[in-house]
Amino acid sequence: MNNEELVSKIAQEVLKKMESPASGSPKVSNSGGNTGMDSSNYPLGEKSADKIYSSTGKKLSDMTMQQVLDGDLKAEDIRIAPETLNMQADVADSVKNYPFAKNLRRASELIAVPDDRLLEIYNALRPGRSSQQELLDIADELRNKYHAEDSAKLVEEAAEVYVKRNKLRTD
Amino acid sequence: MKKSKRFEVLADRPVNKDGFVEEWPEEGLIAMNSPLDPKPSVKVENGVIVEMDGKARDQFDMIDTFIADHAIIVDNAEKVCGTDSLKIARMLCDINVTRDQVLEYTLSMTPAKAVDVLNNMTVLEMMMGVTKMRARKQPSNQAHVTNVKDSAVQIAADAAEGALRGFDELETTVGVGRFAPTNAIGILIGSQVGRPGVLTQCALEEATELQLGMRGFTAYAETISVYGTEQVFTDGDDTPYSKAFLASCYASRGLKMRFTSGSGSEVLMGFADGKSMLYLESRCLFVTKGAGSQGTQNGSVSCVGVPGAVPGGVREILAENLLAMMLGLECASSNDQTFTHSDLRKVARSLMQMVPGTDFICSGYSSTPNYDNMFAGSNWDAEDYDDWNVIQRDLKIDAGLRPVKEDEVVAARNKAARAMQGLFKELGLPEITDAEVEAATYAHGSKEIIDRNSVEDIKAIEQMMNRGVTAIDFIKGLNNAGFPDIAESIFNMTKQKVAGDYLHTSAIIKDWHVISAVNQPNDYLGPMTGYQVEGKTWDDIKNIERAIAATDI
Repeated sequence: MNNEELVSKIAQEVLKKMESPASGSPKVSNSGGNTGMDSSNYPLGEKSADKIYSSTGKKLSDMTMQQVLDGDLKAEDIRIAPETLNMQADVADSVKNYPFAKNLRRASELIAVPDDRLLEIYNALRPGRSSQQELLDIADELRNKYHAEDSAKLVEEAAEVYVKRNKLRTD
Repeated sequence: MKKSKRFEVLADRPVNKDGFVEEWPEEGLIAMNSPLDPKPSVKVENGVIVEMDGKARDQFDMIDTFIADHAIIVDNAEKVCGTDSLKIARMLCDINVTRDQVLEYTLSMTPAKAVDVLNNMTVLEMMMGVTKMRARKQPSNQAHVTNVKDSAVQIAADAAEGALRGFDELETTVGVGRFAPTNAIGILIGSQVGRPGVLTQCALEEATELQLGMRGFTAYAETISVYGTEQVFTDGDDTPYSKAFLASCYASRGLKMRFTSGSGSEVLMGFADGKSMLYLESRCLFVTKGAGSQGTQNGSVSCVGVPGAVPGGVREILAENLLAMMLGLECASSNDQTFTHSDLRKVARSLMQMVPGTDFICSGYSSTPNYDNMFAGSNWDAEDYDDWNVIQRDLKIDAGLRPVKEDEVVAARNKAARAMQGLFKELGLPEITDAEVEAATYAHGSKEIIDRNSVEDIKAIEQMMNRGVTAIDFIKGLNNAGFPDIAESIFNMTKQKVAGDYLHTSAIIKDWHVISAVNQPNDYLGPMTGYQVEGKTWDDIKNIERAIAATDI
């Protein structure tokens, strides 16, 4: 038995004893928001509700449940807007949470990408799923079709690292 | 050899049913302080990290590259790496040094530097560190709400009770995958009956979980797993880049999200690369930070049997939690799956997080009897509610729960079950009978729940999902069924996703006010500062029903 098998066996023995029923950069320190929001405006939903609109342009402070019941507010009317995520990113930068702010800026770009396509892109980024060219094509699509510059860069970075570390699809 | 009666008694004790192993550093069976862990180092050229923890950039694996490019504030990196680790360890438990002052150092560390700092600390010093470094001033708790029958009406009743008892987050999962939509509906409706604003999730495969969130069935996710070695990350079918993209997908739909990782996973999956559990977890947390996740669920979590079996394992779990906080991450600090037969060990392990308080002390506490916990047996079950409450009262700590009255619990469970009955009808799902409502109202576990026709349920669930049902349909359905107040809560939760305030670090919602590390940062600086258990909070915690008043005697 090699070491890996032995360790795995020991670990299994330890766990078996439990008898459980089932076993589950901020290189740029501030990438420059310009929404004028910072932590003093937070929570935006309370302090700036009149400045927040859904992705279809409905004002947050005007939304009522009656509009839902009357069919005037639909599922697509109650989705977060890119501008809102950029405001939240500026709030995050103001408390020095830079990687989180970058995530929110990528997210603001991805609002435009339909649910199904978003899931397809996520799956394409998993190891062994895509060729380098396929990843670069996705980056182009994000950049050109959705103006998702930061997200495109992330996919390009992945393509570069996947080549070096053998994470591309081997046909 | 003649047998000692004493040793015979000891052999029968629960602790001696537990498994223990000796350290074996070469295979990663070592909690901390492994002689094989890399020594901290960092070199920056033109704003790029070209050497990290003993490796030159051309030797970096995908985890190293991701961490070097995304997780470390490089301006200070060389200075921090050159600072004595003991000095930073002392800052962590020094009441005269603020959280922000510590973050100036810790956000520029490398993974090995963070480990080198923590290796200097005792559990008591680490608990001091957690008291100060926890991101949100107020501690909180999370519960698991599941059952072996995937009974949505029972999930709703248990969720209502859980919310009433004080949990700010509730998590469900499934036995059978196709029940995910109704389990998610159950926990959503139940939570809002118990206490409006409680956040809910349904743990599933990554892509499925995101889909449910997009349709408004859930408010957040935390089962986005990351791993400390490249091989195990790949075996887990992801990379730091795919996970960073997934993080943005969640935020793009207004959903709160945290990653998860924990010591022992790499050992279990057979590729620990001869590194200590804390070092590998450090890499996970730096990936979490770099991907832009606001937080983590960590502390070994479902692999707790592994650190639990090696020397210093429970100390290592606390060190992991503290490391997350040193990166400014929200920390849901495990204390969920159990690792021991011994009630004494269970409590000792949990005091590490209960006493200082974390963003979510359990992630989560099992709100059901052990046999109904579909995440595997929990360290704390519904049977332990009163023990938890009394421990809070004994120590004068706020570990997230409050004593409750039986009639209030029964009323909340009943209302949740009736709301599910009404909503099922509105959504075209098979009838929930009055007898089922009655059973869920008074049940302790699924043994008291009436069996349903699973085939019919699954067929109806599929049809419902194919119709494209969303939270909008829940709002309309609940209103039509005579529950406008619960409909209003679901509507308010939907508005939260438009505002995005609860995406931020350590966010919870109390009385529809978002409380997070942004507007309620931890400001602990020694005695009588930071979060204090006083006033109404202390009254609520200390007033357990069974306490005798002097005036009654």
